[in-house]
Amino acid sequence: MTEQFRGVELHHGAATDVGLVREVNEDSFLAAPPVFVVADGMGGHESGDVASAIVVEEFGRLADEGYDARRGAEVVAATLGTCQERIAEFGAAHRARGTRSFYAGTTAVVALLVEDDEGPKWLLANLGDSRIYRFADGVLDQVSVDHSLVQELVDAGTITAADAATHPERHVITRALGGPDRAEADYFLLPLPSVERLLLCSDGVTGMIDDATMAEILGRAADPRDAADQLVAAAVQAGGRDNATAVVVDVVGLATENSYDSERQRVSLEQKLGALP
Amino acid sequence: MSDERDQITRSFRPGEWFGIFGEHATVLLPPSEKARVAALWEIVDDGAGFDETLDALIATGLRDLPGFVLVSETGGETKVVIRGDARAGFATQDGPVDLDGATATTWVERSLRGVTRMTVEVGEESGSSDLRLAGGLVRLSRVDQPPRADPAEEVEDAQPLVTEPVVAEPEVEEPVVEKPVAEPLGDVEDTQAVPFLGGAHLEEEPAPEAVGEEEPGYDEPPIWVPTPTPPPFGAPVNPPPVGGGTDEDHDGMTRAGDWDSSQFERQQPGIPGQPPAPSVTARPVARLVFSSGETVDVDRAVLVGRAPEARRFTSTEQPRLVTVPSPNQEISSTHLEVRPGSGADHGSAVVTDLGSTNGTVLVQPGLPPEDLQPGIAVQLIPGAVIDLGEGVTVQVTNP
Repeated sequence: MTEQFRGVELHHGAATDVGLVREVNEDSFLAAPPVFVVADGMGGHESGDVASAIVVEEFGRLADEGYDARRGAEVVAATLGTCQERIAEFGAAHRARGTRSFYAGTTAVVALLVEDDEGPKWLLANLGDSRIYRFADGVLDQVSVDHSLVQELVDAGTITAADAATHPERHVITRALGGPDRAEADYFLLPLPSVERLLLCSDGVTGMIDDATMAEILGRAADPRDAADQLVAAAVQAGGRDNATAVVVDVVGLATENSYDSERQRVSLEQKLGALP
Repeated sequence: MSDERDQITRSFRPGEWFGIFGEHATVLLPPSEKARVAALWEIVDDGAGFDETLDALIATGLRDLPGFVLVSETGGETKVVIRGDARAGFATQDGPVDLDGATATTWVERSLRGVTRMTVEVGEESGSSDLRLAGGLVRLSRVDQPPRADPAEEVEDAQPLVTEPVVAEPEVEEPVVEKPVAEPLGDVEDTQAVPFLGGAHLEEEPAPEAVGEEEPGYDEPPIWVPTPTPPPFGAPVNPPPVGGGTDEDHDGMTRAGDWDSSQFERQQPGIPGQPPAPSVTARPVARLVFSSGETVDVDRAVLVGRAPEARRFTSTEQPRLVTVPSPNQEISSTHLEVRPGSGADHGSAVVTDLGSTNGTVLVQPGLPPEDLQPGIAVQLIPGAVIDLGEGVTVQVTNP
């Protein structure tokens, strides 16, 4: 864990399963505090798993070597850029060898701790239809917005969110790493205290079990390792039509010197005691 | 246009709404949708039909499109879509049909056969005489097709075409109309074997968001950094390849789409009908002095609240989050936004209440206190004071 986040303690758990239908698990994940990633590879024929592994490898390097926590979005954008280049090269090399229709691509959701003047925050990034949820006070809140055809149709008012779950094109995504186009991720910045628990998962989880089931599991399993295991197990039990991967991260210690809550306590103590303790 | 004289097929009555009349489609839009009008004019005038026009209309979602009317006739069938405060009456082979957009939460859609007469009424009239029209772009409150009998004056040559009503506001007119439709069109024939994001729908969407991208037309040197088409990504921006074995690019489930991504560009938050604000300016347009003593320069979006969070931004325009104390939780978690303004607000900061629970009061120098309307940006004058409640105020000064 990077020096500047000493005050923040993260517990995490991760699980993945090939599912009941697919032969290869093309999902990859990284749980290397303070960096967490889930990537859902596409392409088949041992290309999707390579693409998602490239993402995990590049972000793993970030976790190992450290990064500038004050420039989180730039750091993530640069890392995603490197992934994009490597995946495109990998695809081009295969096509050059004659597999003309070969391509490799992957989604990516990333969560890492960053810092601004006020202290540590979660920086989240999303490309594709893997998802990031926040779980706080028993409420599950989807933070990332899918880059998928059905999400665009929902946004356009053409179909409802309920239609989206059964739409025949629901697996078509509109942004990914590895395509000929540079794809810019969406970024999100959340204050740590608002996030008790963070969930990163592939669509093999969200496509198989509904939000209520996910919230139930996240509320029941106190240990993030249990939560991740049970989410993936539930997805497999529900049919396991796709690779299912979940990474669950809990913020268990938040001891920054001037966090909002500690400031409040200090002020209220001062009011009660008439002086600082 | 003189060859169109004998094609004059309708009359209109001047008003507030915009009317776009093309060869295959008629679109009416409310006064607030000026930017959208210019983008639509381009495709409708080029002969866009029903599907293409409707796609473009709703490409950015329905929520910020309060109303519209779309009428298109092909092969004896007239398709009508009405949303919001607009009414249409038709005389058809099966008798009269009256439609009112206000009766539906989304829109009213109808397909009619054998339409002999159409009348559409929108907004308030600002004139009493009916003018004749072949095609073009006008401000109107009513359309009759065929023309109402004996319009008070004969209009020469469909005079209202594009020129006067709209040109008055150059900052909107320029970027929109001058912009070539959907640049990514590029060399479509440059196909590659990569079945990624291919574009069957390439030509359809002059994504309205693209509007602000170029933002020409300011005389003063621009102080904003033009949204850098973020370059760090290696792959050259190839035109999306056409077609190609989408069958092969699946992993069983997740697939890359053969959809043009620009088709679904989302609308930036900001003032509807205006180009999106430059997200990050080279130098601050204002300075915020918080009641806590903290000062923050406005050179990008600043989100203020009890526990503010930022959603869906790009790597180059990360907003600044400012947490303010609210022991009684009367201030919302993400309460308001201050950002560099665009268009008429260019060079100053604008404040927007983001739907806070208890609202925001703005006191501008020399003006009475004003309750901010959620989602409506208001330009800030130096000396203004923003009151979030619970004793938290923000004073606006020159940077």
